[in-house]
Amino acid sequence: MNTILSLGATALATPLLCVISSASERPPVAPVIWDTEVETVEASAPKPEPVKLVISADAIYTADGDMIKGGTIAIAGTTIAAVTPGGVSSDEDGLHVAAITPGFIDLSPRINLADFSVEESSEVVPYLRATDAVDLYDPRWTRLLRSGTTSVLISPAAEDVVGGMTSVVKTGGDPTLESREVLANATLAGSFGSHASRGNSPVRGRPTNHFARRPTTRMGTEWSHRKAFYDTLAAMSHEDRKFEGWDIMASVLKGERPYIVQASATQDIRTAIYLKEEFSIPNMTVDAAAEAWREPGLLARSGMSVILPPFSAQGRTAIDNGFLSWNCAKTLGDLGVAFALSSHGSASPSGRLAMQAGYAIRGGLSFEDALASVTITPARLAGVDSRVGSIAVGKDADLVLWSGKPFAATSRVVGVVLNGELVTQ
Amino acid sequence: MSLLRNRTLVPIAASFLFGILPSASAAASDTVVIEAGRIITQAGDDIIDGVIVITDGRISAIGAAADIETPWDAPVMGGPDYTAFPGFVEAHTNRGMDRPNENLDVTPFLNVRDSIDPVNAYFEDCKRWGVTTLNVQQGNNTVVAGNGRIVKPVGVTVEEMTIRPDFGYKISLAPKGGKSRATQRQTLNRTFNDLRDNLTNMVESAKQDEDFARREALGQGRERDADEGEGRAMLGTGWTVDGLEMVKRSSIDEKVLPLLEMVEGRHRTFIYCGAPMDVQPAIDFATMNGLLGTATLVVDDSCWKAADAIKASGMSVILDSNMLHIERDPVTEEETETFVPSVYAEKGIPFALTSANQSTNSLWFQAALCVGYGMDRGAALAAVTTTPADLLGLGEVVGSLEVGHAGNVLLLSGDPLDMTSWVEYTVIDGEKIYDRSKDIRNKHLLYGVEPRGATAIESDASETPSDIEVDGVDKPTDEATEEEVTEEHADGHGDDHGDEKEVEETVKKD
Repeated sequence: MNTILSLGATALATPLLCVISSASERPPVAPVIWDTEVETVEASAPKPEPVKLVISADAIYTADGDMIKGGTIAIAGTTIAAVTPGGVSSDEDGLHVAAITPGFIDLSPRINLADFSVEESSEVVPYLRATDAVDLYDPRWTRLLRSGTTSVLISPAAEDVVGGMTSVVKTGGDPTLESREVLANATLAGSFGSHASRGNSPVRGRPTNHFARRPTTRMGTEWSHRKAFYDTLAAMSHEDRKFEGWDIMASVLKGERPYIVQASATQDIRTAIYLKEEFSIPNMTVDAAAEAWREPGLLARSGMSVILPPFSAQGRTAIDNGFLSWNCAKTLGDLGVAFALSSHGSASPSGRLAMQAGYAIRGGLSFEDALASVTITPARLAGVDSRVGSIAVGKDADLVLWSGKPFAATSRVVGVVLNGELVTQ
Repeated sequence: MSLLRNRTLVPIAASFLFGILPSASAAASDTVVIEAGRIITQAGDDIIDGVIVITDGRISAIGAAADIETPWDAPVMGGPDYTAFPGFVEAHTNRGMDRPNENLDVTPFLNVRDSIDPVNAYFEDCKRWGVTTLNVQQGNNTVVAGNGRIVKPVGVTVEEMTIRPDFGYKISLAPKGGKSRATQRQTLNRTFNDLRDNLTNMVESAKQDEDFARREALGQGRERDADEGEGRAMLGTGWTVDGLEMVKRSSIDEKVLPLLEMVEGRHRTFIYCGAPMDVQPAIDFATMNGLLGTATLVVDDSCWKAADAIKASGMSVILDSNMLHIERDPVTEEETETFVPSVYAEKGIPFALTSANQSTNSLWFQAALCVGYGMDRGAALAAVTTTPADLLGLGEVVGSLEVGHAGNVLLLSGDPLDMTSWVEYTVIDGEKIYDRSKDIRNKHLLYGVEPRGATAIESDASETPSDIEVDGVDKPTDEATEEEVTEEHADGHGDDHGDEKEVEETVKKD
């Protein structure tokens, strides 16, 4: 968390690249507002529930401090009631596994992105919510859960410039949004690169209104982005300039809501960085940022966070053919850029999020950083680290049970605990 | 420091001093010594601090360094930091070819020799991931395909690559494009029924010719011409045609002769099953035509359901590179996952793993996944080394590090199943054919270095990996540690130029 905060501060201190005068209209930029205190809350629930599940392990990787060599986790209700070092004996009742990590968090699971979830009425639709289009009966939820991913960020498709609001949901439980949602409207989602203009065609005949000019190029996408934020600045100071969803855009400018944009190719990552710096967007993340390894310095300077797409054997990734080098995660980590790994919803055993962490280790990343990049870091990037992302008393009991050292090619996920329930084994 | 410490210069210099021709040392240059902190032989216990001596391409000695006397003038590779492992054996592949299949249904007269592309990037990948022996067969989109071949991924001609020429035939029970399963089986069965009818007719015809010749000779009152004696009685355990010795083999059409030889058990066959329903017909087909002893089943990921039938047939299997079979219940939509190799392992059916030949699906990774899913480590490693070698009849040549075997050795940076291990050197027949420190593509993948041709590369990078430094001259390498590179990135202009440097630390040897 400290890293993120300091990066945010760096961004604020950076001189604005913007040459257009609107600084006077800009509201004072608020600091990052994630609640860092909740983590330390003790299990002081008013009515303590009885411990219903005890799991012991040779190693507990909390993603929140040091590894506990031999210990037990007690679960009461849906949360972790106690984490106790030592006391592991084989004759103990209850479950014993080789290792436990927190449940994984995938910020780019691409689970709900059917074509019909692309809004075509406008290219800037911040007021839409991805949860309105989500299908909780999709079989991919079970696959994600089985492979250890317990929370995901569901986003609108990247085919709009500003596509709408995302939500963090659990991958299992009752198939209702109410029971699965961790944080509604967690972030705003946007898109750079070819996807934002993909499928759009130039207007036939005379363009009659603003919406007819949907971007068909990267230039158009960038223009739409900047127009949206300038309109927002205007709306924040002029009552008559308000438009639908301006308050959501404003919350991004104030840093109250993270902004996650898809940008894969180097040029798109640069564009995203320049947008962040031009509008001093405090809390911004590039998603599917395959070529982040080409601009780690710029990323570090701007305080941008990164979500990496799944590693591919030949380096090329699906979105804009971006080239992801295998040491990209290590390069970002060395510079203090906050980064998360993602699976894009792969069901194959070699594509799952747990394996992505292994590949990052193969690319030189340390085990601790790899663990963080699929647990606590994505939790912070989505603003849900008070509930999920690490093993601590009071947090949701979302755990991954391993047959051996996590992320090793010779280990696998043997069980998953979600909200205190052992859901797969 | 060069990996190949050279000791040949010394005797050459010495022999000139004493005025002797250096003939002895020239002979000794066919010997290579590989040192490793750990040798996983796949033929018994691991050897700690061991050496492997390879003479004329074959392993002539292997054991603990203390026990083996190495030729004093042989070049030395490796060192205590390396783990030596036998080259992986790819039991079955149809990559590296121009096109894996012909349009025709039955093409036993074709040969993959005419289709293998020695400079195909696939073979470069094989060197990179340590696959040293490959069984190249035609694809599965066929009824009876052409003649396969066992190759090593080194050489600029197919002949140079060849380990076993004209090896095996592919037969498929799964429908070729445009066919149903019914027409596929009809075509396959008709092919062999036609063969039988053909041969029977030929024998009948030969009998009539023989009868005619005998009577003609009798009528003319002369001795009969001596028989040329080229015919051979038909072998085979499935069916035979009596009297085939009366037919000259050279008079049998080359398009059907390979089929006859299959039935006679002279060729191995690889029978592809694309679904569990193909397995029993494949076994029936093999039984009927006497192929059980020479056939291996090539099975897709769903065929584990027919494992009992396979077990009863006694055949071995070569598995698909996708090892996790996911099936969705059509009613409940619940998915079940089956880890395929475990099924065969439990049934005691010999199985070989295959790879998609990429870093994440190469044979080391496949074996590691097997361990992750609970398989014994020894069994998992065998499935990528000794088992495929045995399946191909090469158990005495490749798959393990033993005296007399081919000098196919991988020098790994760590344990073969460890996520952070890399193939540092690949040695085939005692020749170093891959050196990771000079692998531009690997650097590009790992560090984002621009590929060759995109930017100017330092001079030493232009060497081909097969260059072996036997003159003992250490070429200076332009080294930069990773820290230096990332510092350049931190300056905000680490775009491309900083990555051209060799970011890998050259491994320091004693």
